Amino acid sequence: MLKIIGGFVAGVFLVGVLTYAFASKLMFWEIESPFGVEETAARIQQNIMKVGNGWSLSGLRNPGKAVEMDGGNTLPVLMVEACSTKYSAPILKDDTVRFLSILMPCKVSIYKKNDGKTYVAGMNAGLVGMLFGPLVGEVMGHVAEDQAKFVIFDASQPAPALIKGTPGAAGGAAAGGGGGC
Amino acid sequence: MFSKLKITLYTLVAGATMAALTAYAAQVSAPAQTAAPATAPAAVKSTSTADHSKFKELQKTFNSAPEVTKACLICHTEAAKQVQKTKHWTWEFTNPDTQQKLGKKHIINNFCTATKSNEKFCSACHVGYGWENDKFDFKAEQNVDCVVCHESTGTYRKIPGLSGHPTYKDMEFPAHSGKIVKAPNLSKVAQSVGKTSRANCGACHFYGGGGDAVKHGDLDSTLKDPLKYLDVHMDKKGLNFSCGTCHMTTGHEVPGSRYAPTVTPGSQELVAPHMRGKVDNSNPASCQSCHGNKPHPATMAKLNEHTDKIACQTCHIPEFARGQATKMSWDWSTAGQLTPEGKPITKKDSGGHNSYDSKKGDFTWEDHVIPEYIWFNGKVNYTLRETKLDPSQVIKINSFEGSPTDGKSMIWPVKVFRGKQPFDTVSNTLLVPHTFGKDDSAYWSNFDWEKSLAAGMKAANAPYSGKHGFVETEMSWPITHMVAPKGDALTCAQCHDANTGGRLKNVKGIYMPGRGDNNKWLDMIGWSVALLTLIGVLIHGAGRIYTHRKG
Repeated sequence: MLKIIGGFVAGVFLVGVLTYAFASKLMFWEIESPFGVEETAARIQQNIMKVGNGWSLSGLRNPGKAVEMDGGNTLPVLMVEACSTKYSAPILKDDTVRFLSILMPCKVSIYKKNDGKTYVAGMNAGLVGMLFGPLVGEVMGHVAEDQAKFVIFDASQPAPALIKGTPGAAGGAAAGGGGGC
Repeated sequence: MFSKLKITLYTLVAGATMAALTAYAAQVSAPAQTAAPATAPAAVKSTSTADHSKFKELQKTFNSAPEVTKACLICHTEAAKQVQKTKHWTWEFTNPDTQQKLGKKHIINNFCTATKSNEKFCSACHVGYGWENDKFDFKAEQNVDCVVCHESTGTYRKIPGLSGHPTYKDMEFPAHSGKIVKAPNLSKVAQSVGKTSRANCGACHFYGGGGDAVKHGDLDSTLKDPLKYLDVHMDKKGLNFSCGTCHMTTGHEVPGSRYAPTVTPGSQELVAPHMRGKVDNSNPASCQSCHGNKPHPATMAKLNEHTDKIACQTCHIPEFARGQATKMSWDWSTAGQLTPEGKPITKKDSGGHNSYDSKKGDFTWEDHVIPEYIWFNGKVNYTLRETKLDPSQVIKINSFEGSPTDGKSMIWPVKVFRGKQPFDTVSNTLLVPHTFGKDDSAYWSNFDWEKSLAAGMKAANAPYSGKHGFVETEMSWPITHMVAPKGDALTCAQCHDANTGGRLKNVKGIYMPGRGDNNKWLDMIGWSVALLTLIGVLIHGAGRIYTHRKG
């Protein structure tokens, strides 16, 4: 009996250690981009608009600007925001999972690190979705498939212009319905 | 009656509420009012004893800028003579160490390359009027441009192509852009003169290399009215330094030269840094001249142990071009592409910067650039027009000397600007292109390299074989402006980083703790000794316990 309890406790401990060690890496992905921050963001914006499935741009944020206004510096960070009503609608209609609206819009972060290289990061939508039941799991699975297409870069294509501002439906109830969530 | 009482009561309540709100508002705003003097721009109020708008000599209509200079010289009799001794005027500098003749008149860089044959265009940044060829009179005092450095209206602008003159009638610039540059009112310009401001220096130094933020990386138009994040000294709401606060000028001689930089001000024990107020010939435009050799407090004493080998700029300017992107490369070899109709092309990159121009070739831009780091002892060798080069190698337009063992070098941050530019494939020397002009040989008019290079070399009075190619070049620029707030200085781990090698991973010749420089065998021996010691201690302890129990 003691062996069973001991084995159980050891198992729980091991799972805890593994979760602590790997959860953060499983929940988010990070890849290196061959382009600079602005060009990477612009190419991702183009990919989002091409991928279909109702995706549209919701905005472009530069959190570093606020730090600058406060007298500090950060290496460049741009956040491309996008949303698909095809995927957001089922979640927004279901009271039991509507709280997941805090994950909307979908964000892809592009930033420079101290090695001078540009990186792209996002949430592992497929894995996170599995934590919230079959509906969310299925929707987020599709989101993850599309997200993978956001970061396929075709270097043979010329650099597109970065779309600044918020092209989508940000700004409250009175905002337009052109895009975003 | 009742309603009157009611109205009176409402009025009293409203009045009391207003009074309370006003008192609260006054309390809330009080700290801002008391803080204002500390943050107000220090240089806003002029302390000058002369108001030039009251001078009769300046209260007249000027038809040309040299007429303004003549008026200035009525009182400032020695000013032009002083200016004419400076690099701002001569565009020449003989390096005392190398004896190389430098300055804009002589060097070929990898931006717009050379001024020879293009003087009419380039002299928009000459502190004078009328330089368009070899016949320019360098002794004529009325040719000195006083107002470009001293006017404060912001309306005076020297347009490229006018031989250093401002435009005297409204003109479209750049050509076909639809943008109109207004002719300045020279009378108002003359009456506005005062101390040189950031905008005055920036009129040229922010736009070097053919445009805003092109050349230096740490100097661009965002420094005209910078916030604290961009430059802690120039912060317009804080210290509000002008360029002249550091480049403390005497007799129009501005200290702080790229051609002979001061890299170790006071880092050696025997040489004290120049301190403000002290009369000597050393450079006051250094960090040490205000902050001294050991600038960090006792609680950060370890940092002071770095100051003999690490330039202040290395830690305190962690990235340059933090206000806007700077040009990082320029490939002249791709210039000349035209539309099927023969029209020049321009292209923009994702950030909206010019990435291609038929006149100039391909460019790349980057903001928040992490500098490259080198050992630098202040000696710079230039590849000049007559220097023989090996075209199979990347040619260093300027080579910074330095080593960890010469006792004179420090680790400095630099911007390395990379490019491809024309060279003579027979004589293996750099070439001077003739770019600007309405003549048939100007590259920007006819896009014909052969004609352009032949004309440029003829103007430079130098031989040209008639055969050209393009060679890869690098030019380094020491980074010294855009000092970040102290909270943004490099941290220890950004250099002492075993995983990536840190910021100084390419700085060779020294052992740096935590950089991954360690010798694996030495480490193994060390750890083995430690392990054996531990085992010995354990065996000894166990033996003691055993013998104690045995009695």
